[in-house]
Amino acid sequence: MAPKARKTGEPLEAKETLQAVIIADSYEDRFLPFTLERPRCLLTLANMPLIEYTCEWLASVGVEEVFVCSGNHTDQVETYLNNSRWTKDTSPFSLEVVRSTSTSVGDAMRDLDQKGLMKGDFICVYGDVIANIPFDAALKAHRARREKSKNAIMTMVLREAGDYHRTKDQHHRRCFVIDPETDRCIHYEQVRPRTSPRLNIPEEVLKDHVEIDMREDLIDCGIDIYTPDALAQWSDSFDWKLPRQDFVHGVLQDFETFGRTIHTYIVNEGYAARVNTLRAYDATTKDVVSRWAFPYCPDTNILADQSYQLQKGNLYKEDGVVLARSSTVSHRSVLGKATSIGEGSVITNSIIGRRCVIGRRVRVENAYIWDDARVGDDTVIETAVIANEASIGKKCHVKRGALVSYGVRIADGVTVEENTRITRFKRKRGYDNNEVCQGVTDPKVVGEGGEGFRLDLDEDEEYMYEAMLAGAQELNVTTDGDGISDFESGDEEDEYAHSREPTSRSGSFTSIASDESGETKRDHAKFHREASDSIFDGLQREQDPDHIQLELQAQRLTENAEDNQIRRAVAVAFSRRIANLIEGGRTAKEAVATAILPNQRLIKACVKEAGEQAEFLLFLQTDLVHRAQGSKVLLHVAFVLAGEDMVDGDGLEMWWEDPRSVATEELKKVRAETQPVVDQMAGESEDDDDEEEESDDE
Amino acid sequence: MPSSVVGQTPSLTTFLKSLKQNDIENSIELFISLLKRRQIKNSRPCAIATTHLLLRVVAEPKRKWDAQKLIARVRHVGRRLIAAQPREMAVGNIVRRVLGVIREVAERDEDPLTDSEISGSASPITGEFQRPALPTRFSEFSPLHGAAAMPHNMHSGRPGTADSMAMEFGGTPQRPALLSTNASYAGQGPPGTSLFSILQHPQGRSPMATPPPGTQSPVTGPSPSRRAIAGEIPEKLDIKAEVIDGIKELQDELDVVDNQIAESALDHIHSNEIILTHTSSQTVQKFLLTDARKRKFTLFHAEAYPNNHEATHATILNGAQGEDDSDERWKPLTSLGITVILIPDTAVFALMSRINKVILAPHAVLANGSLIAAAGASTIALAAKTHHVPVVVLSGVYKLSPVYPFDTDELIEYGDPSKVVPFEEAEFTDKVDIVNPLYDWVDCDLVDLYITNLGGHAPSYLYRIVADHYRMEDIDLNAKQDAVVKKG
Repeated sequence: MAPKARKTGEPLEAKETLQAVIIADSYEDRFLPFTLERPRCLLTLANMPLIEYTCEWLASVGVEEVFVCSGNHTDQVETYLNNSRWTKDTSPFSLEVVRSTSTSVGDAMRDLDQKGLMKGDFICVYGDVIANIPFDAALKAHRARREKSKNAIMTMVLREAGDYHRTKDQHHRRCFVIDPETDRCIHYEQVRPRTSPRLNIPEEVLKDHVEIDMREDLIDCGIDIYTPDALAQWSDSFDWKLPRQDFVHGVLQDFETFGRTIHTYIVNEGYAARVNTLRAYDATTKDVVSRWAFPYCPDTNILADQSYQLQKGNLYKEDGVVLARSSTVSHRSVLGKATSIGEGSVITNSIIGRRCVIGRRVRVENAYIWDDARVGDDTVIETAVIANEASIGKKCHVKRGALVSYGVRIADGVTVEENTRITRFKRKRGYDNNEVCQGVTDPKVVGEGGEGFRLDLDEDEEYMYEAMLAGAQELNVTTDGDGISDFESGDEEDEYAHSREPTSRSGSFTSIASDESGETKRDHAKFHREASDSIFDGLQREQDPDHIQLELQAQRLTENAEDNQIRRAVAVAFSRRIANLIEGGRTAKEAVATAILPNQRLIKACVKEAGEQAEFLLFLQTDLVHRAQGSKVLLHVAFVLAGEDMVDGDGLEMWWEDPRSVATEELKKVRAETQPVVDQMAGESEDDDDEEEESDDE
Repeated sequence: MPSSVVGQTPSLTTFLKSLKQNDIENSIELFISLLKRRQIKNSRPCAIATTHLLLRVVAEPKRKWDAQKLIARVRHVGRRLIAAQPREMAVGNIVRRVLGVIREVAERDEDPLTDSEISGSASPITGEFQRPALPTRFSEFSPLHGAAAMPHNMHSGRPGTADSMAMEFGGTPQRPALLSTNASYAGQGPPGTSLFSILQHPQGRSPMATPPPGTQSPVTGPSPSRRAIAGEIPEKLDIKAEVIDGIKELQDELDVVDNQIAESALDHIHSNEIILTHTSSQTVQKFLLTDARKRKFTLFHAEAYPNNHEATHATILNGAQGEDDSDERWKPLTSLGITVILIPDTAVFALMSRINKVILAPHAVLANGSLIAAAGASTIALAAKTHHVPVVVLSGVYKLSPVYPFDTDELIEYGDPSKVVPFEEAEFTDKVDIVNPLYDWVDCDLVDLYITNLGGHAPSYLYRIVADHYRMEDIDLNAKQDAVVKKG
């Protein structure tokens, strides 16, 4: 597929320039409020911007061309890089910032594909990767595989990390099913937090592979080796957003059709991690400070203007640090240039940036204080992040998990509660709009004379917020009181994965679908699973509805399925698609419109009469019971279906009156909001009649 | 091994290759980042890379150097390199040696008539750096034993140096001139020298035979004949060309240093001795191999877990391999019929009573005779002291640093703790601080003999070699800058 002159063999290959892509935007909100004003890759970890670690690693691997893809805050990224050593003549690689308006990794990849910048296989990393792993072996393995088969389109580099590791993502546990013989990843799933682990491994996987490893002990460090084919895959599927849940999952699912494979390379030496959550930030900083990422430690002084020196107990001090005689700075701390610490202050396990002023009798524990921050006398700071130029007054108490953003001022004597996020800026209305505007200071939060307000996560981010609290609770049980638990933040990928569990819903249907039993029941369940999966996939990749229809028909014929089963499959697929769109950030209304409007024919094909329509709605309703914003979705769906004449008034009424649609409390709740539509439709159909009559009159 | 790999990861080899294409500033930056990333590490690769880089700096095309400018330039580059990785002291050593070469050339340039070869009597300043090419090794002065003197034709008999400068300069014809230089030098040298030399060598050798203070490795000293020719050229010396020659000689010294050290092997290791060594070192392997061809001995090899055990195992199993640029490989000692016993570092004390000699390879040697070596060396040296086992250190002069250790902690690098406790042991690593020092500090009291490419020396004598090889002005590269500024 790819225009590749592979056959010429080794020597040519060695000359090939090694390219890399840094995805500088995270497309996530986990570092709010800091990422409002600055891109994640420029946040400092152990007083060095994250992207420096990434570039440094790429340079150490021998990359010759780097493209930085950036969506949000491109200007800042560009300015930073233009002033850094990576764009100077002496840089080991050429670096180019690719501007795009992408809102997801998928967009960025499609952008790249369009621009045709990648000549051969390339490394794809995030702008927040910290690694020191040797890479030759991984590249070699990848190339060897490519030689053999063009279908090996990607290699994921994973770091072995044991059952529990602070750097491993405890929240969404990524599970890789790997064929140890070929290192092929044959199944990927994220285990939801707080659920008992359960994987849905397709049958073929078990059939086709003699031996499989199921591994949950791997750190997914976000380092992938892509081929141009893989990039083309991204382009083929317009709605893939996330490299794991969409891309890997999608490619693996299509294995039967296209035979493309994804491989893994498991590293068990060196360090590799991604700073993708606050918790990871905390853990990675600890790793860097305790030299796990050696040689990328503060005392390597990677940046030219750094001058850190290591002292006993992993204490790093830059030149010009002023410590009062009675102050104590204990192990695993980093102090930046020209920072001063007052009499009687105690600093433990903390990172303090440059030019900070820490007052007298201050206690700082496990905190991250970035450059130019000020902390007044007698203040206590525990496990918090204080961003650049923020100032904390005297006698304050910043509790665990608090995040104080850039330039915030906290007045004297204020207590910042746990997990509070304080900022001066907020995002302007509209989700995709990344412009920020100054918010109104809230004296209740920052005290009189302070500046800043509490950032409450708005409706779209509600899930994340929940996830954060829930995550914190869970973690408090397992890792008791080590402070990092509060750093848990929400995760949209995670919710997203939830919606993709293919079979978990099928059980609930049997109750209403029909009274099947035994084998037929199982057959039906199987058909349902396959059909709804394939429709869902089709929808997700925005295939032509006729195409989906064709596939469905084929499946129906092979399984000898009945019409009502098809309706059920279609209903469920749509419901899933809508739910996934909503979690992708759309409102219920938009999601319904995007999912249904282009695919009207699909629905029309399976619902013709009023009875069928009622059944379809019933299936939809039942499925939506479990979905987020189910009632809202149902309202919009009903509205759209009715509006586009896919369902007529009779069908609606039949559904409404069907006893099965009010069988349980949940069902009632879901359909409650739809009441007005039904009323209106019922009325409308009468109106229509009236109109017709009227026209007849004329 | 690394050659078969795709060849993407930068290393010494790729650095040397890239030197030819890159411009100078690029090369300097690249070397700095390689040092920082520890992709060039250990003394020999660092030294090799530094000489090549400085050669490029000096040979910068379209640039006319006068001595002061050149010194300033090299100092500037040197400072940056040292700042990048202060613990690789070989880098600083080479920079200082190159500075010494430049100064020497400059001084000759300023006053060609005082050139020692022409006038026959060197002024103390110039004389110090116009070292004669001494024909003999000094290993026979080892305090450990009085072995027979080197055969005279040792140079030509040296293995694997056919292409080396040693052949060019080491030949006998130049010798007669040396004696006079030596004599004249001895007369002008510090009064204590001869007495010191007598005390130095318990065998009571004649002062004439002791290494004269002007000793430098034979290959580095430009040959008198060349000197003479250079001196005859009226006025202007081509500084650039002269310095380039000097650096090339330095490179040649690095090439042959192991062989030169190995030459004295027969004087130090005797039949049926039991030797203990530590980590995999090219120098030590060559040394032992040279001896193994003639004699049988038993070797205990401490494996230097956790940082170097793999290399040690490989050395024992497959023979030594060049540290980074491995074109040549040597057979393992066992293939020559030597019994090699691999032991963990912890067993050293228990075995020490049976051992006749400990051979160590340092990472760096400091001016006072103490050394920095792979972690574990200190234990070995202390155990040896307790059992009164002589400790012999094999070190090229390039490892000898003029730095005097004030804070020994600073010199020790701390590495990646995952070597000690694997990263996967998360439960453990979370709660415990793990340190993995890469080097050990061994005090000069614990060392009995240094064998360099110049011969054997007592630790207390090293300061003298330091004085010979490095200029006072260059010892502190930063401080001198201030002095220059003040002068200017």
